[in-house]
Amino acid sequence: MSRFGRTDLPEEQAVAMRKAVRIEIFTICYTTVTIGVVALVLGNSQAMKTAWVEDILSLTPQVAFLVALIFVRRRPTKAHPFGLHRAMSVGHLVAGVALFVVGTTLAWEAISGFLRGDHPTIGTVVLFGSSVWLGWVMIAVMAVIAIGPPFYGRYKLKLAKPLHNKLLYADADMAKADWQTNAASIVGVLGIGVGLWWLDAAAALFISVGIIWDGLRNMKTATLGLLDKRAATYDEKSVHPLIAEVASTLRALPWVADAAVRMRDLGQVFHVEAFVVPTDPRTPVEAYEAASRAVAELDWKVEDVEVIPVSVLPVEADRGVPDDGEPHADGSDDADATGAARGGGGR
Amino acid sequence: MRRRARLVAGVAVISLAAGLGGCGLQIPADPNGTLDRATGAELRVGASPDASLIEVRGDDVSGVLAEVVEAFAASIDATVEWTVGGEEQLVTGLEEGELDLVVGGITDETPWLDRAGVSRGYPEMPGANGRTIVMLVPLGENRFLSTLETFLDEELG
Repeated sequence: MSRFGRTDLPEEQAVAMRKAVRIEIFTICYTTVTIGVVALVLGNSQAMKTAWVEDILSLTPQVAFLVALIFVRRRPTKAHPFGLHRAMSVGHLVAGVALFVVGTTLAWEAISGFLRGDHPTIGTVVLFGSSVWLGWVMIAVMAVIAIGPPFYGRYKLKLAKPLHNKLLYADADMAKADWQTNAASIVGVLGIGVGLWWLDAAAALFISVGIIWDGLRNMKTATLGLLDKRAATYDEKSVHPLIAEVASTLRALPWVADAAVRMRDLGQVFHVEAFVVPTDPRTPVEAYEAASRAVAELDWKVEDVEVIPVSVLPVEADRGVPDDGEPHADGSDDADATGAARGGGGR
Repeated sequence: MRRRARLVAGVAVISLAAGLGGCGLQIPADPNGTLDRATGAELRVGASPDASLIEVRGDDVSGVLAEVVEAFAASIDATVEWTVGGEEQLVTGLEEGELDLVVGGITDETPWLDRAGVSRGYPEMPGANGRTIVMLVPLGENRFLSTLETFLDEELG
């Protein structure tokens, strides 16, 4: 469990990973039960049908995560020299496309149902010997199963950060917003109840737009990662502070005049190309190897590090200095200080 | 912020339900008011003849299913006005608002799902010969359907 390609996970990450696997398996079990229960009370409500399909779709990130994990943990080989870390991004992309396509279909069903003027028909069921309107049962079921996702969503969110896992983060984010789906389907069924038949279609449309939105966001994050976007934090909100940390670690070495970094996110760990301008062109190879090890020691996510001597830094490489380009993540000053200290004492 | 939104949503649902109950608004309701219109007046029923369930002689409709329908009409103080025809013609009558209910040898395998509201199945219907008999109502007339099913549960259960 603690091995990640060529990376050995530190204790904190190893524990978080074990917890993540457990919670993903738990989520799959929980969702399977809710899918079964909702199927029993589905009826003719389009909102209920849409919420049900969303429930089924919500399994994809968890399955993708667990399947990708099998590959991600393999060591790099000659055939796969960078390891199989991209499996996580591929799973992420597949989940995004699935959400988008199915969301679009559901939105179309909701709109066309509304245009046809479909009046959803919901009758009764016999419950404990008396006839009860099925709508009440639907509302009760949707209210009860809305309880789980916000809790495990929050839990996953806490694990996504130390693991730097965007798939887990996306999964957690969707779970946190899941109650909206249940609330919308309850509104739809209540609408049918009071005779506002179109409220069902409106609720179904609301839910499907949410699914499409999730799909688009996931496709975007996964695609940008696969296109080797500069490494960002797990929530995609800012440039990853490690870029500045690596650059300043190298600059702090006495034989380095200047340094810049190309860092890409392989889905869970980073691949780092560090360009250095040596003060003396005759700098021995051992110095570069030591610099590479010093960078690798900065963080468990950077293990695959190449230090490349150049006379002029490539323009697209990031020097990790705030006024160099876009603003960097908060705390990069802090990172600089620790980076310099560790860099100075590099092996 | 999220927590507050959830609280607001919860309060909204509860107060909506309580408010609706308080105003005497009934759930489920009929968007087109089928039950209200038929109560104390006439129930327009389409009959599709069936060997063991519905017999048609001239203007007279009889048989087990006809008796059940007459009893249901009586329970809402309505009198039955029969229309006899083929299933498709009767289903079109439901869609166009000319009929309130269609009965006959229609089972839970009925292909009219998209064009009519289908009641629960009643395998206990005498003369059904093992078939699970359903009745058809206008789409989305949920109060009427629920009232009918509740009656059938008591009558046949």
